[in-house]
Amino acid sequence: MTGMAPVVTILGAPLLAAVISLATTRAPILHGLNLATMAALAISEMAIVQQVLTQGSFTSLWGFVYLDALAAFILLITTAIGFLCSLYTWSYLGDYMERGAISARRISRFFFLFHLFLFAMISATTANNLGIQWAAMEGTTLATAFLISFFRTREGFEAGWKYLILCSVGIALALFGTVLTYYSSVRVLGDVSAALNVTVLLGVAHQLDPHVLKLAFIFVLVGYGTKVGLAPVHNWLPEAYSEAPAPVTAMLAGVLETVAAYALLRSKSIVDQALPEHFTGNLLLLFGLLSFVLAALFILIQHDYKRLFAYSSIEHMGVAMVGFGVGGSTGTFGGLFHLLNHALAKSLAFFSAGNMLRRFGTREIDKVRGLAAAQPVTAVAIVVAGLALAGMPPFSMFLSEVMVVSALATQDFSSDTLHLGQFLTIVVAHDVRSLAIVTAFLLFAIVLFGGFTYRVTSMIWGTPPDGVKRGEGWEVGQVPLVVACAALVGLGLKLPEPIRELMDRAVHVLLAR
Amino acid sequence: MSLLTPHVGSQLVDLGSAVLLLICFAIVAQRRLSACVDLFALQSVFLAATAALVAFLTGIHHIYAAALLTLIIKAIVIPRILRKVIERLNVTRELVMNVNVPAGLLICGGLVMLAFFITQPIIPLGFLLTRDSLAIALAIVLIGFFTMIARKKAVTQVIGFLVMENGVFLGAAAAAYGMPLIVELGVFFDVLVGALIIGIYTHRLQDAFDSVDTGRLTTLKE
Repeated sequence: MTGMAPVVTILGAPLLAAVISLATTRAPILHGLNLATMAALAISEMAIVQQVLTQGSFTSLWGFVYLDALAAFILLITTAIGFLCSLYTWSYLGDYMERGAISARRISRFFFLFHLFLFAMISATTANNLGIQWAAMEGTTLATAFLISFFRTREGFEAGWKYLILCSVGIALALFGTVLTYYSSVRVLGDVSAALNVTVLLGVAHQLDPHVLKLAFIFVLVGYGTKVGLAPVHNWLPEAYSEAPAPVTAMLAGVLETVAAYALLRSKSIVDQALPEHFTGNLLLLFGLLSFVLAALFILIQHDYKRLFAYSSIEHMGVAMVGFGVGGSTGTFGGLFHLLNHALAKSLAFFSAGNMLRRFGTREIDKVRGLAAAQPVTAVAIVVAGLALAGMPPFSMFLSEVMVVSALATQDFSSDTLHLGQFLTIVVAHDVRSLAIVTAFLLFAIVLFGGFTYRVTSMIWGTPPDGVKRGEGWEVGQVPLVVACAALVGLGLKLPEPIRELMDRAVHVLLAR
Repeated sequence: MSLLTPHVGSQLVDLGSAVLLLICFAIVAQRRLSACVDLFALQSVFLAATAALVAFLTGIHHIYAAALLTLIIKAIVIPRILRKVIERLNVTRELVMNVNVPAGLLICGGLVMLAFFITQPIIPLGFLLTRDSLAIALAIVLIGFFTMIARKKAVTQVIGFLVMENGVFLGAAAAAYGMPLIVELGVFFDVLVGALIIGIYTHRLQDAFDSVDTGRLTTLKE
């Protein structure tokens, strides 16, 4: 019961903040409340990490909450990015209010939905019961539907509608997968409400029927894969990311994708107990590679910088999935590290994009010139984000990508056939395939690097268009830019001991058999 | 009671599931939006009845609660919201479809076969009472999915989603004797809030586009 206080805080604080946000329309109070909530979350997350590191995994709140190293690691990303977003929101919404684009009432509504969104993501991460995890994942869709169309533009509603419909469909498929998991476990355990609990499922997984679990995993993969933004069910993502307000996009890209990937990994860790490892791994590898390749091609034809970053999200989630798919300690560690780096780099990219959009009033890459003169801080931030996302050293993303690639190159397939369900079997000679995949991967990585850096750097130099104000003052909203840049460089140089320890244990959770 | 042997009970549950599937076909064939909503409400009533039957036959009481919630939320509240939306938007018929009705019905027939094919290896594992319902549940999910792709009006897309949800619920109630109650509550809450949000959204789409034809949502293109 020692873990009760931080768990109650991390779940209760956003919920309480959501209710209070509705009650007031005074912007300073709302922002203060938001920051206070984030501080509370950060402190309780530290307590949780401490507890996981010293005592191992634990359940709390009468067995409804289960926290192990993996969940604690995902919560770390959630709270860190959430904090950065809150700081950024201060300046971002303040700016729009000064211009009279939004009223104080809209800000109160914004924070109401924002905190509900946060609450849903934290519940999805901490839930012990896979059914509750599902309900929370659907909750994230519902909470963000009106955040995406926050500015009430025509395009905003269109993007919001696509997001709502596609993600609801995806999540309905995931529910069917969850029902199938329950179908298999209820036969072993009988009709008990604990039959969907991760703690219970892990114990009996080897008795569960492999056929049912295979089918269940395919449904869960397609379902949560939609929320992760894996190709070919990624269509909602570029639209939603380009229309949503910058802090919301940063949360969607940095945190929601990570949490959805977590839900997927949770299912994988259970299914892996009952099936040969390469079944789930090969599926993740396939979807990961497909997302990577498709995103690489689409990045080349983008002329809108927010969409450019959105496609880069699809690409990097693909890389992470390749890491998890290849598995082994290197691949899994690389995948987890990549999730963290992607969250940092992508929120940095979208914060900068938000600054540019407010200054230049356009999302067209060709119409943005002379960023270095107009907004020096943002220019540095976007160069850092661009280089990190393109996979350049010394940024930490380079490290995690190298880990994934080296895992891919040295992978040890337990069988020479790549089974995709029962319908399709591809047979390729062992080393030829491995070499071919790595070569293709690196080739597309080069395409991506070229396309991405070209687009991003083209905005930096030159003279800004007429009528665009030059120079950039210091405000609260710049702090997250500096912090994220520093973190990307710092994590590349040295991974702090507690985080590395946490990730090692999370790898252990995923690979335990 | 003596008439309700497990065998008869199993037949009755299968009959209920089959009626649900039949209503899916009716929805695919129906062009009038209000009729689609009525059919969805009817399907939810049968779903509740099937779930109640499973509860009665197995003596698991919490399925009654789920059946009651289905009746209230899916057969009464959500259809009422959808009728309001249709009334306000002043749309009555689906004039243009991505797939015409006969082709749609044929595809749905294929989907039913696919569902039985996929679930074949796992059906013998189920409880004796409700074995075949899992295949039918998957068929309903797939048809709901197909409806969402084949139709253009926002309202019918929503109905497609709700039909998918009904299929999942049938799968849970019939094949696994109901999900844990806490999960059911979460799912119902999500469905209800989702329907409300979608109701508001169609209103906003109408204001912004003068249409709820999602085929016109083409401002955002590559």
